Amino acid sequence: MKYIDYSLSEILDLLNSKKVTAVELVNSCFEQIEATADLNALNSTYKEMALARAKEIDEARTRGEKVGALAGVPIVLKDNINFLGTKTSCASKFLENFVSPYTATCAKKLYDAGAIIIGKANMDEFAMGSSNENSAFGAVKNPVDNTCVPGGSSGGSACSVAAKQCFAALGTDTGGSIREPSSFCGVVGIKPTYGRVSRYGVVAFASSLDQVGPLTRTVRDNATMLNIISGKDEADMTTSNTAVPDFTANLDKGVKGIKIGVAKQFFTDQLSSEVSTTLKNAIEWYRQAGAEIVEVDLPSLDTALAVYYVISSAEAASNLARFDGVKYGRRAPVYKDVVDLYFKSRTQGFGAEVKRRIMLGNYVLSSGYYDAFYRKAKRVQKVIRNEFNKAFESCDVLISPTTATTAFKLGEKSNDCVAMYLTDIFTVPINIAGVPALSMPCGKDSKGLPIGMQIIAKHFNEATIYQVANAFETAHKEEK
Amino acid sequence: MSITIDDVKKLAILSRLEFTDDEIKKFVSDLEATLKQVEAINKVDVSNVDLIEDTIDADTDLRRDVVIPSLKASEIVSNAPEKEDGAFLVPVTVVED
Amino acid sequence: MSWKTVIGLEVHSELNTNTKCFCGCKNEFGDKPNTNCCPVCTAMPGALPVLNRDAVERAILMGLAVGCKINNYSVFERKNYFYPDLSKAYQISQLEYPLCLGGGLEIEVDGVKKFIRLDRIHLEEDAGKLIHTPHGTLVDYNRGGVPLIEIVSKPDMNSAEEAVAYLEKLRSTLLYVGVSDCKMQEGSIRFDVNISVNREGEPLGTRTELKNLNSFKAVMRAIKYESTRQIEELEAGRPIIQETRRWDDEKGKTYAMRSKEDSQDYRYFPDPDLIPLNVTNEYIDSIRAKLPKLAPQRKKEYMEMGLTEQDATLITNEREYADFFEKVLSYFNEPKFVCNWITAEVFKKLNALEEDDRKINLNPESLAQMLKLYKDGEINQAGARKIFDILWENGDADPNELVEKLGLKQMNDTGALRAVLEKIVNDNPKAVAELKGGNEKTMAFFVGQAMKATQGKANPKLVNEIVRELIK
Repeated sequence: MKYIDYSLSEILDLLNSKKVTAVELVNSCFEQIEATADLNALNSTYKEMALARAKEIDEARTRGEKVGALAGVPIVLKDNINFLGTKTSCASKFLENFVSPYTATCAKKLYDAGAIIIGKANMDEFAMGSSNENSAFGAVKNPVDNTCVPGGSSGGSACSVAAKQCFAALGTDTGGSIREPSSFCGVVGIKPTYGRVSRYGVVAFASSLDQVGPLTRTVRDNATMLNIISGKDEADMTTSNTAVPDFTANLDKGVKGIKIGVAKQFFTDQLSSEVSTTLKNAIEWYRQAGAEIVEVDLPSLDTALAVYYVISSAEAASNLARFDGVKYGRRAPVYKDVVDLYFKSRTQGFGAEVKRRIMLGNYVLSSGYYDAFYRKAKRVQKVIRNEFNKAFESCDVLISPTTATTAFKLGEKSNDCVAMYLTDIFTVPINIAGVPALSMPCGKDSKGLPIGMQIIAKHFNEATIYQVANAFETAHKEEK
Repeated sequence: MSITIDDVKKLAILSRLEFTDDEIKKFVSDLEATLKQVEAINKVDVSNVDLIEDTIDADTDLRRDVVIPSLKASEIVSNAPEKEDGAFLVPVTVVED
Repeated sequence: MSWKTVIGLEVHSELNTNTKCFCGCKNEFGDKPNTNCCPVCTAMPGALPVLNRDAVERAILMGLAVGCKINNYSVFERKNYFYPDLSKAYQISQLEYPLCLGGGLEIEVDGVKKFIRLDRIHLEEDAGKLIHTPHGTLVDYNRGGVPLIEIVSKPDMNSAEEAVAYLEKLRSTLLYVGVSDCKMQEGSIRFDVNISVNREGEPLGTRTELKNLNSFKAVMRAIKYESTRQIEELEAGRPIIQETRRWDDEKGKTYAMRSKEDSQDYRYFPDPDLIPLNVTNEYIDSIRAKLPKLAPQRKKEYMEMGLTEQDATLITNEREYADFFEKVLSYFNEPKFVCNWITAEVFKKLNALEEDDRKINLNPESLAQMLKLYKDGEINQAGARKIFDILWENGDADPNELVEKLGLKQMNDTGALRAVLEKIVNDNPKAVAELKGGNEKTMAFFVGQAMKATQGKANPKLVNEIVRELIK
C-alpha cells in the first residue's frame, strides 16, 4: 500500500508514530499529481513551499514539540481561497496572475494546525457552474471515467481527493458546489451550516449562500477537517457564536433510534432509476440498522432553484463589480478612458457563464424589478427555511439523492444552461435553507460511476450527519 | 416575461460588459428561459412572511474601535496593473458625481 | 406673483472614530497614499466588512442630539455604481431602515426663528480620493471606508441665509456632540443642496442638485445664483431639467454635470455580509446618557449666571467657546467679565484666522490669571491686551511674570499719582475749566496725559478720582 492510499486519519496515525515523514508525504503526493496531471485538477502547485513547511513540521515532531492536529498532512485549497503568496485565480482569466496579499481564515486555521498546502484546485470560474467546464484553464476530468465531468464548481477539489493527489481539499458550496462533485467523483463532501465556517478571504460568489467545507475520502476525515476550520471569526460577521463540538465524537454511535426523514419531493421522476434504486436500498439498510424512517413534507422544495437563481445572481452581480481593472487583475491593453477600461477589462476577463449571471443579477436588482424578484425570492426563501425547520421537528436527518443522475459526459450539457442548472435541484434547497448537508458515495451505477447520498440535518447539527454517514460507510467499507 | 434587445443593452451597460449583436440576441432568449424558471417563485404564498431577518446586537456584537495594523502601501498595490508611488494609476478621470 | 425658493440639504459628515467603518484601519487624514489600507477597504477578493461599534454609537448620538427617533431595526445596503474611488464598486449605506429618522433644528435669521425638520440620519462609508496628474489619475483609498453620517433635511428652507444658518447650526451641533471634526478644507464635512423654485401658491418646481460646495460662502453664493438662474429660465419659458449641477467657485456659476445613462439605478439591496442591527432601547438609553450638554441648555445656564441673551448666544455658538468659557470660570468665577473678554478679544483673534483654523490657542488658567490681575486693577486694559497677545502666541507664558518683566504693574500709588496730576492740572487751565463746565469727555485728556507721564502705568480709575478731587 502506498502512502497516498491511506485516509487522512490513517496517515495522521503514521505521522504521529513517526512511521512516515511529512516530506515523504509531500513527495508522494507530487508524484501522484504528476502521474494524474491529465485530469487538470490543479491550477497551481507549491512544491518548494510545501517541502519547506513539511521539513519544519518533521523537525518539530522529532524534537518532541507539540504539533497541530493536522501536522504534516498535504491538502489542496480551491482556487478561490486566498493564501498569502499563492495565486488565487478563481479559474478566471481576470485573476490569472493575482497573488494573494493575505490569507483566508479557513486556510490560516489549516496552516496553523500543521496542514501543508500543496496546491490550488481548478474550479468553475468564480464558482459558477456544475461541471467544471467553465474554467478559463480548461475542464477537469472525472478520475473515475475521464470522459465524464467531475461536477462543479469544486470539481478540481473533488477530483484531486478522488485521484489521491492529496488527503483532503477545501471547496466552496453556494448551490451544491461541494456536494455535486463529491457525488460525481465518489468522495465525501460537506456543506456546513451557513455561519459555521468563516468566509473571510474566500472570494465571494453569493455571500448569503456561500459556505466553505472539506472534501475527503472518508467520513471520519471529513469530520476531522471540519473540526479545524469551524467557528466564530471576528473578520466575518456572518459566522455564528454557536459552540463547535468535536465532530468525530459521535462517529461510532450507530443509528439505532435515529429518525431519518424522507421527503417525496426529493424522489421525483427526474431521478434516474439506478440512483433511485440505490438510494432506496440505502434507506432500507438504515431501517435494518435500527433507524426509524419517517415521511416528511417539503411542499415548496421545487421553487428553491428559482429562489437560488435570483438571490445568487443578484449578490454575484454586486460581488463581481469590484473586478474593474483598477486595483488588481486584468486590465485591457487598449481603452479610451476609465469607463472604457471597465467595459473592456471585464468583457475580456470574464467567461460566458459569469457574464450571464451578472446580467441576470443586475436584471433582478434593477429598478422596477427588485420587488418582483429579489424581495419576493427572499420571502420564498423564508418559506422554504420554515418548511425545513418543520420537517426537522419529526426527524434527526433527511436523506436524499445528491444529484438526479451520475456524472454526465464532458460537453453534454455545456450549451444548455437550463439543463445545467437543473443538475442542482437537490443541492440548492440546502443553501436556501442554510442547513448543513453532506454527500457521500452510496453505490455505483452500471457504468461504475459513483452515486451520491445527501444527508441533511438542522442548523449546526453536523455531528448527527457524521454519525449517520459513518454508520453507512463503516458497514459498506468492503464494497468500495 | 418578455425581454427586449434594449433591455439587454441597458443591462450590459449596468454590468459594464460589451456584447456583439449576436450575443445580445442570445441573451434575450437565455434570460427569457431563465426567467421562466424563476417564475416558480410566484407559486408560493408569501403573504404572511415577514422579511425582518435575524439580527445582531449593536451593543454587544460589533467590532471595538481599536486600530488593527494596515498592510504596507506596496502590498496594497502589489497586484495593480498600473501604479505610482503606492497609488493605483488609472486614465485621467473626469469629475462626475 | 412672486417666486419662492425651496431648499433641502444633504450634509455628509465624517465621524471621528479611531478606525474605519468596516475595518480596523486608521481613520486619519493626510497620510501617504494607501498606507491606512487593508484587504477590506481596498476590496481585495474575499475580504469582508465588520461594522465599527463606535461609528454606530456616534451616529445615534448625533441623532439623539437633534431629536431623531432611533430605529431598533437597522439595515445596511449596497449602493452599486462604478467609479475608481469606490473600491468595491458599491458603497455600503442605508436606505430602507436608517439608524435615525425625523428630528430637526431651530435656526434664527434676522431675529426670526424657524424649525427645520430632518428626514433622516444614516451611516455609510466614504469613498477614496482621486489625485489628478497630467499623465493619469492616482487612486488613494486611505479615506475609503471612513465612517460618514448623511444628514438629510426636509425641504424646509426658503433662502440662502436660512440654508447657511441651518448649516452653521448643524456644524455647531456636530461639534457639541463631538462626533465629527467638521473641517471643510479636509472635506470632513460636505454639503449637497437640492433647490427648486415655484410661484407662490403653486406646486413645487423641478429641483436641481448642487455639488462641490466647499464652504458656507460657496453655499450662499451657489443658492443665490441657482435660484436666480431657475427663475430666469422659467420666466423665459424654459423648463427646469432635473439634474446635478456643479458649482464653479471661481466663475460663480453652476454647470450641468455629464449624466451617465445608468446613473439613477443604484440597485440597492441589503448587504448580505452585514447582518441587520438590533438597537435595543437599553442601548439607546446608555448612549443618551453620554450626550454632552448642548447649546440650548448651556445658554440657559449662562443667562442664569447673569449673561445677556446676546452674550450667552455668542458664547454657546460653538462648543469650543462654551467649554473654554467654563474652564476659565473654574479658575476665575466672574462670568460677565470673562465673557466680555472672550467675545471681544478672543473672537477678534479667531476672526482673523481661516475658518478651519479657528481654534482657541490659550491656556484657560493663564487667561484667568491675567483677567484677575486686570479686574483687581493690578494692570490696566493696555497691559491686559499686551499680556493677552503674548499668551495667544505662547501657551506657557506666565501672566504674573509678564507683569514684572514688562513693567506693566499699574501705578496705584495715590501720592505719586497726585504729584503727577497736580502738575498736569496746573499746566492745563483750559481743560480744567471745560471739565468743570460739565464736558466729561475732557477726562479722557487727563487720563491720556497721566498715561504719558507714567509710561502707561497709571491706574485710570485712580486718575479719574484724583483729578476730580484736584479741581474741586
